[in-house]
Amino acid sequence: MIKRDFPTFILYTFGFLLIWEWIRPLEQLTTTQNINIFILFLLTCFLLSFFQVRWNWQFFIKATYILFFLNSFFYKDHFYKLKWLNSLMKDLKGNLWNLVDRKWDYLTDSFRTLLFFILLWLMVYLIQYWLIKRRRIFIFFLMTVVYISILDTFTPYSAKIAIIRTVTCGFAAMGLLTFYRIIEKEKVKYDSSFIRKWMIPLVAFIVLSATVGFAAPKAAPMWPDPTPYFQANGHKGNSSGSGTGEGKIGKIGYDEDDSRLGGPFTGDKTVVFRVIATRKNYWKVETKDVYTGKGWIESGAGTEQLEPYALIPVFGIPDSVAKTHELATIFPKIKRNYLIYPAGIQRMIPNSNEVLELDTNKEKITSFNVDHEPEQVNSYEADYEVPKYKLTDLQKTTNATEIGQDFLTRYTRLSKSLPSRIKKLTEEITAGKTNWYDKAKAVESYLNGPDFTYDQKKVAVPGENEDYVGQFLFKTKRGYCDNFSSSMAVMLRTIGIPTRWVKGFNSGDFIKNTGGDPSRQIYEITNNHAHSWVEVYFPNQGWVPFEPTKGFTNTVDISYFTNNSTTSKSQETPPVPVKKPQKPEQDDPSTHVTKKLNDNKKSNQSVQIFFKKHWYYMAYLVILLSVIILFLYHKRGRWVPYYILLRYRFTRDDKFLERAYLVLLKQLERYGIKRKKHQTLRQYSDYIDTFFSTREMTRFTSYYEQYLYNRKMGNENWSEARKLWENLIKRTIA
Amino acid sequence: MAHDQMNPAIEKILSNIEKVMIGKRNVAELSLVALLADGHVLLEDVPGVGKTMMVRALAKSVHASFRRIQFTPDLLPSDVTGVSIYNPKEMEFQFRPGPLMGNIILADEINRTSPKTQSALLEAMEEASVTIDGVTHRLEKPFFVMATQNPIEYEGTYPLPEAQLDRFLLKMRMGYPDMTEEIEVLNRAQKVQPIEELESVIDLAELQFLQKEINNVFVDSTIKHYIVDLVHSTRGYSSVYLGASPRGSIALMKAAQAYAFMYGRDYVIPDDIQYLAPFVLSHRIILKSEAKFEGITAEDVVKRVVARVAIPVKRLEVK
Repeated sequence: MIKRDFPTFILYTFGFLLIWEWIRPLEQLTTTQNINIFILFLLTCFLLSFFQVRWNWQFFIKATYILFFLNSFFYKDHFYKLKWLNSLMKDLKGNLWNLVDRKWDYLTDSFRTLLFFILLWLMVYLIQYWLIKRRRIFIFFLMTVVYISILDTFTPYSAKIAIIRTVTCGFAAMGLLTFYRIIEKEKVKYDSSFIRKWMIPLVAFIVLSATVGFAAPKAAPMWPDPTPYFQANGHKGNSSGSGTGEGKIGKIGYDEDDSRLGGPFTGDKTVVFRVIATRKNYWKVETKDVYTGKGWIESGAGTEQLEPYALIPVFGIPDSVAKTHELATIFPKIKRNYLIYPAGIQRMIPNSNEVLELDTNKEKITSFNVDHEPEQVNSYEADYEVPKYKLTDLQKTTNATEIGQDFLTRYTRLSKSLPSRIKKLTEEITAGKTNWYDKAKAVESYLNGPDFTYDQKKVAVPGENEDYVGQFLFKTKRGYCDNFSSSMAVMLRTIGIPTRWVKGFNSGDFIKNTGGDPSRQIYEITNNHAHSWVEVYFPNQGWVPFEPTKGFTNTVDISYFTNNSTTSKSQETPPVPVKKPQKPEQDDPSTHVTKKLNDNKKSNQSVQIFFKKHWYYMAYLVILLSVIILFLYHKRGRWVPYYILLRYRFTRDDKFLERAYLVLLKQLERYGIKRKKHQTLRQYSDYIDTFFSTREMTRFTSYYEQYLYNRKMGNENWSEARKLWENLIKRTIA
Repeated sequence: MAHDQMNPAIEKILSNIEKVMIGKRNVAELSLVALLADGHVLLEDVPGVGKTMMVRALAKSVHASFRRIQFTPDLLPSDVTGVSIYNPKEMEFQFRPGPLMGNIILADEINRTSPKTQSALLEAMEEASVTIDGVTHRLEKPFFVMATQNPIEYEGTYPLPEAQLDRFLLKMRMGYPDMTEEIEVLNRAQKVQPIEELESVIDLAELQFLQKEINNVFVDSTIKHYIVDLVHSTRGYSSVYLGASPRGSIALMKAAQAYAFMYGRDYVIPDDIQYLAPFVLSHRIILKSEAKFEGITAEDVVKRVVARVAIPVKRLEVK
């Protein structure tokens, strides 16, 4: 028989909490909005079920609820005008046909919402069936855990707390249900003390296991994050939806859309390139010049086919800078048709017949086959120059007079809504610095400073009216390379220094030296090495890379000998891209590289680090708690009576007398006058009364005897009994 | 039992007895318990402590006929129960009732007579009837036997078998009076024996009504539990060869009901049980011979058991 008692209510609550865990991620991961309406619906369903409202009323209430919200979301007419029902019916009909035709994409939002409501309705029924009829919830609990762990693994949804909630709820529900199953199986009558006896260890165990589970060190994932693999297979390397709706932002590995930055980054160990080179290099893919307030886009487009062996027409390193020639061989490892190249690239020579194309705006190089279809290059050689800057030369620039106006405008442009305090901040940081280089360094080291935290997981997405850089600089101060590089680029632009935002990969992992040539090393570049940084333009020096991201270094050779200024000749305004015929190159939708690390591992580590760091605090806390508990236990004679008085003050239960009497016995025992177990209540109360020189115990005992041995207790004696009892309890305090 | 008001009828009887008996109120009480519970009493004591006086006073108080049988080795069953004698005038056998045909019987020195006679008496006690020459004669109601046995005179005695001891509801001792009491006894002895002038305070019908009332005294399941706990514990006790029987449990409950009634309560409390347990249980226990050699008595065992079994202080949940 279904009862409406408190334990049943608790069971329903757990059921509700468990199903809530299913809905929680939806808001973050899908376009589902107004999630509260669904939660409220769940709550309504559970309440109706709990109060055992008649089925027809239940149906009416739920249906009205669904219709009302369908109406308010999707239909213009007033709910009570009923005209909208016609359009609803029409919609339903159309959608049902779509269902039959399996045209999933054509289903309207209203129909999906309706289906979702019905699904929830069914789920509530199922859970109620499991909880109340079957008294089993394990399957559902397991499914919930699996669901949450999958979401946690493959999506930006963080189930750190969710899993604790779920496990706690699930265990508690299962514990309760086991209790009921035993009771029903053994056909035992039980009272509340029975439940308490069961519940206290249950709660203790759950708390203990949850704490241990939370505190225990966790092993890192045993396999590489499979998400990018799915992604790469799923849609041809294009925009990373990570299986979620449009509302979500978050990056997985190298991502080409930078118009909206922010959100967590998920990296992986998929090897993207393997490089044989003589030195460590940052590898560029493209650069972007327009900051929108939310991210970066390119200002235009223009493609140019590269002639084989010709110089690549990108901004090169001016002759005024000392440089060395280097050669690297690059082996792309996954299907991407963009090519990475180091700064100072001169030529690119594919080892097969692909045509290379350059996007002149973004400086992105892509490969095509002869039919102009995107085609991956098997391997290619990159011939590039490594600059060796002189500090004194870099420090020469103090203003933009040597730079052409168009060029300056293009690379110092800011979004209209940029908060003015960014400029203020930048001016503060660079105060006292006279030249551009020192200013750039000041900003770089500011971002490398202690105020900012490198984090790939807890990275905010700017709100509707929020600036991406502003949010990072003033609010979150927590992020990964995109945050740092965008900030530096924007900050320098506010004080009129031309910058551009560079995407690509950092130098990757050193694997080994090549067998033949000891000067050449093999590097492996994975999705984890996706990165972004900043280039600052200096007249006569060209684009000089800076690395504002905390924990990263880009070795740029700068000589600090002051007396040795190489270039005195002020260069022409914008450095003219050097065009040289080279092997054909193609323009192709470039992808942007963002650098992110494995997130799960990181959060696990942070928990471990937290425990490592704070274990002595915890130990101290535990000791303190134990001391407090011991003290309270020791002094229990002092405070327990008050607690008991308070507790029974308002009790009108028939069992009051029994509980009160037993509590009194216990209290007297604490006081030091223990009843021997064979001592009858009368003998004992005589003894107590002699002790306290009263008659109260005897009188109170006679009521209790009536209750206990005669199964009678006059109602008129209640107040008197209570008074006697209170007096006695008070005596034990003295 | 300081907490309770004596039942007025009982109080009358007891104070009536006290007019002739000095001290020994507890013995009078226990005798009354047995009388009310429709049981019998075995008094184990030396002669001359007032057993007869006690019983006679009791009999007088309740307006019952009193008989006394002095048991001797040569006493025959028919001497107790009565005999059919041929009446030549009427040309038939006529039943001449023996001393058993009374309300309150004092069976003095019961262990002096032969087992045959003992068993005749005990059977009568159990059945409340005697069968002579195929004719069953019902004994009068109420029927109350107070048997005495002399503990020191082992010469020429026939100890009662255990099975027969079980028939007595209570076994007790009278004990000597203390100094002041004994002086008072002497004072009284100088005057006319007051027993002759003792008036009855209730009649037999009233007594029978009181006996019926006993059954209405409530025994809670917690108390029953406690009784059974006690009796059980005697069975498992180390120095006990044979513990008390279920008849012992019944006896304890009945006695407790009577006792509670005497104290004006309509329900039994553990104190009743604790007080009565030695009197009800000790003669139902057979000790191991080692225990006897160590000087442990059955009373000691019962007292230890009482000190060991926990009192119920919580209601039992009814399932």
